[in-house]
Amino acid sequence: MKNLTYIALALVICSSCANESSPDIDKANFVRIYDNNKFSASYFPIDIKQTPDGGYLILGGRRIADPTSPNAQYYSGTYLLKTDNLGAIVLEKEVATDIVNPIGPLLEVNSKYYFFSMEPKNIQTQLSEVDPSGTINKTTLVGGSYPAAAYNDNGNFVLLRYDDFSKQSVVTLVSPSGNSINSKGFSVGAGDGVEKPIVEHFLRTGRQFPFQVGKTLSGQYFFSGFYNYTFSLVFTNLTANNPQGVVQGNQDDGGFSCVMPLDGNRYAGARFSYGDNYLMPNITLTGTGITSSVDLEGNNLLELAPNATVKMLTATINGKDCILYGSNTRGKQIGLYGYNKADGKFIGSRYLGFSNPFEIAAFTTTSDGGLAVCGTTFIAGRFPRICLFKISKEELSKSFQ
Amino acid sequence: MKKLYLPLMFLAIASACLGQPKRKAPKFNSTKPNGQNQFLDKQWWLGFKAGTNLSQADVMKRYTILTPTNYGSNQIDKTYDAFNVFGIVTSVEASFSYKGFSFSLQPTYRSSHFTYSNQLRWFSTTNNNESLTQNFSQEQKIEFAEIPFLIKYDVYGDRLRPFVQVGIYYSMLINAVKTVQVSGTDIASGGTNQLSTEPVIVGTKDLFTNNWGLIGGFGVTYQTGNVRWILDATYRMGMSNIVNTKNRFANDRLSGIGDAQDDLKLNNIVITAGVLFPLRFLSNDFKSN
Repeated sequence: MKNLTYIALALVICSSCANESSPDIDKANFVRIYDNNKFSASYFPIDIKQTPDGGYLILGGRRIADPTSPNAQYYSGTYLLKTDNLGAIVLEKEVATDIVNPIGPLLEVNSKYYFFSMEPKNIQTQLSEVDPSGTINKTTLVGGSYPAAAYNDNGNFVLLRYDDFSKQSVVTLVSPSGNSINSKGFSVGAGDGVEKPIVEHFLRTGRQFPFQVGKTLSGQYFFSGFYNYTFSLVFTNLTANNPQGVVQGNQDDGGFSCVMPLDGNRYAGARFSYGDNYLMPNITLTGTGITSSVDLEGNNLLELAPNATVKMLTATINGKDCILYGSNTRGKQIGLYGYNKADGKFIGSRYLGFSNPFEIAAFTTTSDGGLAVCGTTFIAGRFPRICLFKISKEELSKSFQ
Repeated sequence: MKKLYLPLMFLAIASACLGQPKRKAPKFNSTKPNGQNQFLDKQWWLGFKAGTNLSQADVMKRYTILTPTNYGSNQIDKTYDAFNVFGIVTSVEASFSYKGFSFSLQPTYRSSHFTYSNQLRWFSTTNNNESLTQNFSQEQKIEFAEIPFLIKYDVYGDRLRPFVQVGIYYSMLINAVKTVQVSGTDIASGGTNQLSTEPVIVGTKDLFTNNWGLIGGFGVTYQTGNVRWILDATYRMGMSNIVNTKNRFANDRLSGIGDAQDDLKLNNIVITAGVLFPLRFLSNDFKSN
């Protein structure tokens, strides 16, 4: 009897050691690669947002194999993917080819998501409204050519686009209903030479430039785009014809990869220069005068791919405010680099992906304190597909201390 | 860790032998009960066993990294093979026998292997030359330090003693290694290109964890002199998940090729042979035949 008691006790102890999976664990950490078995299919993500149900909405682009709209084959099509909180597909849609060249980010206003794109026939900008389930509710013509970047300005949108008629980088304030509120254009410079890399960017036949538009804490607007023959960071109040400040790049070989206001005149950013990449978690920009990005000190990360895509966000990890950079390494991994927001001190790194190439497109903090990183992987070394990494709060805490 | 087992076993054997110098074994083979045999109904045995095992991964829940958008997920399900790769088992056995029953603790080293495979295919419906097939073959080796507790019952007692046994075990993870072989056929390169890569060996200790299970089996002992030779077979039924659920996607090398560890229980057929030494004798009157 006594022995039986011991055996029963052992069974209870062993049972308590059971290591069962649970939805909480499954949604905290996962990796997904969304595969289509069509040989010629090609997908790439543009932006990701976590939806109120805990799932993820991914805006992507796709290769157009069978255009139904004129000129659509010259541009990337639009792809929407809605997943649940485990990364499983809820809805995926190859959007009709009258919506091409979508750009990020997904702009959230009143539980609706918006993105700019182009209609292919007259290459005019349009604005699409998407509900959290991934369904496009409506698409409105905004006008103007070649949308390049967007920003959510408290419910209105700041749009950066390239006007191929006036040869200008144009910053426009747009309402969610698609009405232009204010607009200002800045010349990229005369001649075809400066326009060539811009058009190749939109056709995706050339280098992809890190166009960006945003707003400073003092209320100035800024854009990172072509101005006066140079890929520059330009500050404007959308009133004056000339920029209030310019941080010049170096033609199309140097400039900002991304920039983010922190406090006062303090910014975090990254820049590229002739292939090199510099992460700058603590720089000062006044938004006035003419300066050069080359003069800005930063950490030269030689492990990053030449002129790498760099994404940036702020997050709270281990109770500390941090700046997280996401970029692409020469080793074809996604690299995450963390810095203290207060002083720019390096706090850790983490690498995602192996075996096949991986490239970052966007990342976002999640409601559970984790991070969702969306990128492109090339399955079998060749098929571009969307991948999603979910990293738990605990894993982030280990990587960035 | 594996290297420690051989010296430990050697020490166990040596100590058992040295503990009984010049003593002869009692008569266990007498069929008539007498006082000596009644006493010998109580005996401690110490010995060692070694053998092999075959494993079967019992899938509790499937996980996938590759998530199909335009085809069924069952097309990329992993196919597990069962009891197809031999592993190693070595044990030290310490038993107390009493009237045909034995209570046995058997610290064990076990390396288990299981294999699985899956296939991916990309193709064009309009151009037969656009096709790539990739085959992934994976062999998982997991090493455990096990503590099995068994109750044996001698079916009948003589020089040859068949027995049955039941018990429980707790397995502590020592190490795990996965070998991945990728092969395939690419006919999009202008001809039929048979793809084959060198196996990739990946440390996967983080993907697994300790677990427990139940044991049932049978065997036979044969008495020669003071020692008992033992041959036994057990079926070990895993009762808990062997996978570390928190680290399922932690290995970038594996997640990069789309491999996520399913939740698994591990079942084993274990066959061992060895020798047991008695640990106590009353007097020189106990002599073996």
